[in-house]
Amino acid sequence: MNNETAALGPKKVVGTPVPRPQRTASVQTYIPEIAKGLGITMKHFFQNTKEMAFGQRNDPVLEAIEDGINCISYPEQKRPYPARFRGVHRLTQRDDGAPRCVACLCCSTACPAQCIHIEAGEYPEGDPRRGYERFPQRFVIDELRCIFCGFCVEACPVDAIRMDTGIHAAPYDSREQFIFEKELLMAFPGRDGSHLTANPRHEPGESTHPGLDRDHH
Amino acid sequence: MPNFKLDDREIPFEPGETIIRAAQKAGIDIPHYCWHAGLSVAANCRMCLVEILPPPGRPAMLLDILAWDADKQEYLPQKKPKLVPSCQQAAADGMVVKSQTSEHVDVARAAVQELLLLNHPVDCPICDQAGECRLQDYWLEHQGTKKRMRDEPVHKPKAVVFGPTIVYDAERCILCTRCVRVSEELAKDPVLSVRERGNLGEIVVAPGRQLDHPYTLMTEYVCPVGALTSIDFRFKARVWFLRSTRTVCTGCATGCNSFSDFDPRNQKVYRYRPRENLAVNKFWMCDDGMLDHRRIHEGRVLEARIAGAAAAVPTALAKAAELLAKADPSSTAVVLSAEHSNEDNFALLSLAKAFGISDVYQSARPAGQGDDILRHPDKNPNTAGVAALGKASGLKTFVEFVEAIRGGKARTVIALGSATPTGGGAAALSDVKNLIAISTHEGPFVERASVVLPASSWAEADGTFVNAKGMSQESEKAVTPQGSSKPAFRLLAELAALAGKPFAWKKLAELRAAMAPAAPRSVPPESASLGAE
Repeated sequence: MNNETAALGPKKVVGTPVPRPQRTASVQTYIPEIAKGLGITMKHFFQNTKEMAFGQRNDPVLEAIEDGINCISYPEQKRPYPARFRGVHRLTQRDDGAPRCVACLCCSTACPAQCIHIEAGEYPEGDPRRGYERFPQRFVIDELRCIFCGFCVEACPVDAIRMDTGIHAAPYDSREQFIFEKELLMAFPGRDGSHLTANPRHEPGESTHPGLDRDHH
Repeated sequence: MPNFKLDDREIPFEPGETIIRAAQKAGIDIPHYCWHAGLSVAANCRMCLVEILPPPGRPAMLLDILAWDADKQEYLPQKKPKLVPSCQQAAADGMVVKSQTSEHVDVARAAVQELLLLNHPVDCPICDQAGECRLQDYWLEHQGTKKRMRDEPVHKPKAVVFGPTIVYDAERCILCTRCVRVSEELAKDPVLSVRERGNLGEIVVAPGRQLDHPYTLMTEYVCPVGALTSIDFRFKARVWFLRSTRTVCTGCATGCNSFSDFDPRNQKVYRYRPRENLAVNKFWMCDDGMLDHRRIHEGRVLEARIAGAAAAVPTALAKAAELLAKADPSSTAVVLSAEHSNEDNFALLSLAKAFGISDVYQSARPAGQGDDILRHPDKNPNTAGVAALGKASGLKTFVEFVEAIRGGKARTVIALGSATPTGGGAAALSDVKNLIAISTHEGPFVERASVVLPASSWAEADGTFVNAKGMSQESEKAVTPQGSSKPAFRLLAELAALAGKPFAWKKLAELRAAMAPAAPRSVPPESASLGAE
């Protein structure tokens, strides 16, 4: 410490002093305070029991604006998630059940947690999609590493990956179980029960498809 | 040196040089698709148009045009200077060229860019060129408007297999004809040409032929868009995940300068790209060299072995040191390898010197095909380097090595390298009592070795290679050593230390300093790096 700051002396404390609680006999013996606390607990216990018995429970959606304590019996009862809740990922499908994904790696590029691994594959010679598209030979998401930011969904150019399953990240007991492969991701339906993509891109065979050669065949 | 002025900057040029090349050498990239420094001028993309001001006192060459007047809501007659393609126009002393500073050039470039994208499928998500595509780059830089055409674009053939290495997508093609010119001028095999005109045009292979000359991957390399893709690299990786190091191709004695593009996340080399060096490979590499990156990951020896059984590297080193300590120097030999860098060979020579081993032989890969373009018949990257290093020790050939084995003069052998030259001899290796092989790849040495020490490949260590012209070139490390492998010079240093005669040097820089008198470095006059071309 140099001389200049030493000359200023100790720093003055600014603030309002808070009085310590009085150590009365009832506080020091603990017993009355314990009884008070248990009283509140029992009040809620009987209130909840009464509500459950008479079916007077608050609507879980409106509970925030209702009076009183609102309990739900998770997991039998669940709070409804908001419409744009980001749950576990799913891969959307085409009409023929193939993955909509074209393995462009935009999602894994956008992913800040680097939890998406994709190996791209090419459709074989003679397949109508050859040349137009490619597909993911492997599509793996490490749900343990995922931070559920939703960037992958934003980045996807073909509406192939979504987070609208409504499933929140499940607890498992080993790391391997968090590695979601393509088959599992494609098996999840959206909250509307559909597996299909909303991407209107023309599929081979449709009248809107440009065709594979100069004569639009 | 004469100068011309480009956007208020003085650019020096060699007489006869074009504006775009002189600007490129000065570090200014005039936007272009069809021009390539190593090819003839086609001037068909019209992207490199610039405005050249008339000489003082002379009128400018002006064209009559109708320009839209937003205030009066009608087209009015106006004049516009005639623009010139800078790829074709030779620079002249005192010339004043306007590129970025000319509004006429801006308008022209935006129009060219819009035209090129009119029928483009915009399938960037599945295009391998995405991330290094000129259409993407120049769209951001120069295209002022969104596409205004509402019609269905023209459709053309997709995923046309041109040959064993190349797939073509006519919809993405902008018909710059770079690939046509590469086939004709570099490979001397005019197998590609353009069919149809205008927006129906496409590149075709000559009837009855395939695109199969030894330089097919250069057509993909020069393609400024995603029209030509290499089957080897197709769909394997996204270029923005890759990092590059400056390496030297080890496929033959030409020693082409290259970039190794690797993914740092999985430490895998995905491709080579030619690196411009006018003294060695100009702008090019051959297909064999471009595909040589596969050998970094294929057929490798990644674990140490003792008598054919896997072992830990320290155990194998201890075993090798024991064999070396017991060996009689008069019946011991070392085998240098033209596959390995100067550093590795120098380390082995140092070991020979330390243990009094006087018999120094050389192994190499078998010779192959060559041509007078780039490919050298000697398929080893460092034959000249090994010859220079081993000169003082009386370097002997592999044939003499086989004779020495038969004569019982090589009972203990420390061999660098994986391959043996053609003409037999590989079988003779079985007669070596104690063969210590320091190898990168499976091969005759590894098969017959008592102790195998896994060496890192050229991509996993810094190294110096001397090409057939006698130029010594440094190759940089790209990926980390695979498996339990280590650079051969490190294995040799550890072996020497275990056997009780440690080398004086510890680091690579010290090794290079020690090596300098034996292998003087002659760095080739590398031309200025002109960026990704």
